[in-house]
Amino acid sequence: MSFDAELDAKGLNCPLPILRAKKAIGELTSGQVLKIVATDPGSVKDFEAFCKQTGNELLSSAEAGGAFEFMIKKS
Amino acid sequence: MQEASTTKRLSAEERRASIIEAAKHLFARSGFHGVSIDEIVREVGVSPAILYRHFKSKDELYEAVLHEFSCTRESYVETVVADDIGFEQVLRGMTRVFVNSIVNQPDLLKMEMHSHLEGNIASQEFFLNRWKSFTDYIEYNLTELINHGKIKAMNVEAAALIYQGMIREVLLLKCLNSTERLTDMTIDEIVDEIINLFLRIIIPA
Repeated sequence: MSFDAELDAKGLNCPLPILRAKKAIGELTSGQVLKIVATDPGSVKDFEAFCKQTGNELLSSAEAGGAFEFMIKKS
Repeated sequence: MQEASTTKRLSAEERRASIIEAAKHLFARSGFHGVSIDEIVREVGVSPAILYRHFKSKDELYEAVLHEFSCTRESYVETVVADDIGFEQVLRGMTRVFVNSIVNQPDLLKMEMHSHLEGNIASQEFFLNRWKSFTDYIEYNLTELINHGKIKAMNVEAAALIYQGMIREVLLLKCLNSTERLTDMTIDEIVDEIINLFLRIIIPA
């Protein structure tokens, strides 16, 4: 899947990945995609809640090699 | 007789939950090493065989208790998605969520104290990780403020440690002790006041 910006949130605990994602999405234009890589297992639920509350679309959420990858499309 | 039939009607899931609930209180009271499987089964009112059907060992049961705490882990998402939020607002919001979660389940704080005394690395890591949300947040933001020339350079790790220590002490005072100190203030009021003092020192006007 292609993306327009990437955020490395590895090693950070909630709410930092969310805060940094919020900032990164703020710099995108509508329809662009942000890829986020995090290691906090709680980030799966957090990004679901984040997208629900902000109206941005969670395109995918996957685990690979101990890290969690999220694709979020700006609304 | 009637009790026995009620006991039987519990589904496997309910039985598992009732064992976790009883174990939580016992671990909070006496730590991991201070509780035996016998005590736990006596408290739940089941045979050891039933407990072992759900948990292979005391270690596995302890892990399940921690897992349950992590499932109810504070979500800070709501606090941070609001518009125009600054360092102070988020710190206040996060602290309020965290403090209230412990006030509602003081067993968690007691288990944390025991885990430090017992030197159980795995559980220590679990508890330290909960505090890491704060220390990460504070370190990251203070570093940014310093880089932008908004505040003077400082050891941000030490600043985060100061904050963690203050909040922990309030929790000990309000959740575990029954002292006369600050009895006229609610825990939210004390936390608010502490954040005011912290910010005044870290970010002078």
